[in-house]
Amino acid sequence: MARAEPPAASFERRVLRSAAEYHYLRVRLELPDGVTRPTVAQFKQLVVSALRELHGEVGAALPVDVLTYEEKTVSAILRVISSGLVRLWSALTLLGFYQNRRCAFRVLQTSPFLLALAGNSRDLVLD
Amino acid sequence: MVRFKNRYVLCEVVSEDPRCRQCIEDRAVGLAVRDAIGRVHGDYGLACCSISFTVKYLNAYTGTVLLRCRKDSYRLLCSALPFVRQLESRNQRYPCALNTLHVGGTIRTCQKFLIQYNRRQLLRLLQNCTNEEERRCVQKSLLSCSLTEEQSQSGDEEDDGSPE
Repeated sequence: MARAEPPAASFERRVLRSAAEYHYLRVRLELPDGVTRPTVAQFKQLVVSALRELHGEVGAALPVDVLTYEEKTVSAILRVISSGLVRLWSALTLLGFYQNRRCAFRVLQTSPFLLALAGNSRDLVLD
Repeated sequence: MVRFKNRYVLCEVVSEDPRCRQCIEDRAVGLAVRDAIGRVHGDYGLACCSISFTVKYLNAYTGTVLLRCRKDSYRLLCSALPFVRQLESRNQRYPCALNTLHVGGTIRTCQKFLIQYNRRQLLRLLQNCTNEEERRCVQKSLLSCSLTEEQSQSGDEEDDGSPE
């Protein structure tokens, strides 16, 4: 009994590089002692002003969201559109002053997936 | 062979104030454009565009300006030109606007475009002439530039003060 040959399989391969829409950054602002820690609104204002200094009005219009903010440790999770990651990161790197005092942004983790920021292998304690 | 490629942006200074013409100088225009780039694109954009930025040609009578920049940053420059709001020189400021006419890779292409553009502008001026004397002046300059097509050196016609 002759079996009908199955039709030739046709498949299509799609490779998506950096297809994620947003990138997430966990950052911490290091401040000298004696400086009042910024509120969440002041923190966002600081991020936007850093973008404005380095990338102008176009950079300041970049959609950046502060998803979480801890005032005690001055650390936050930022979300930015993927095409603006380089601009945001470079602006945070080059920000030097907060209220005329020296400060520095440390980027602790970055990932296109928010869930990846939940665990940090750098914090693991090895026995 | 690797060489640095430039883009030449041809613009026109448009202003309602007639005294703005005396303010059109290469330093004033260059500073105004740089300032606009700095506001719109920040320190990074300003540094990118300033690498090979100069005002190559300027004609105060017609308000034509030719700017040069690197090919990698000409989009930053072109997007910042609408944000030029005033020209300042010798402690006087006049409001103005920059219209982009043409972006070319060489000065020669920009010059060819400018010659054709000026010819068309002369025709438009002829239609908008109000009195007879201006009409005769414009007709004379039109004839002098149309008869010799090959030797179009006299492409940069000067306005005889006729209203735009």
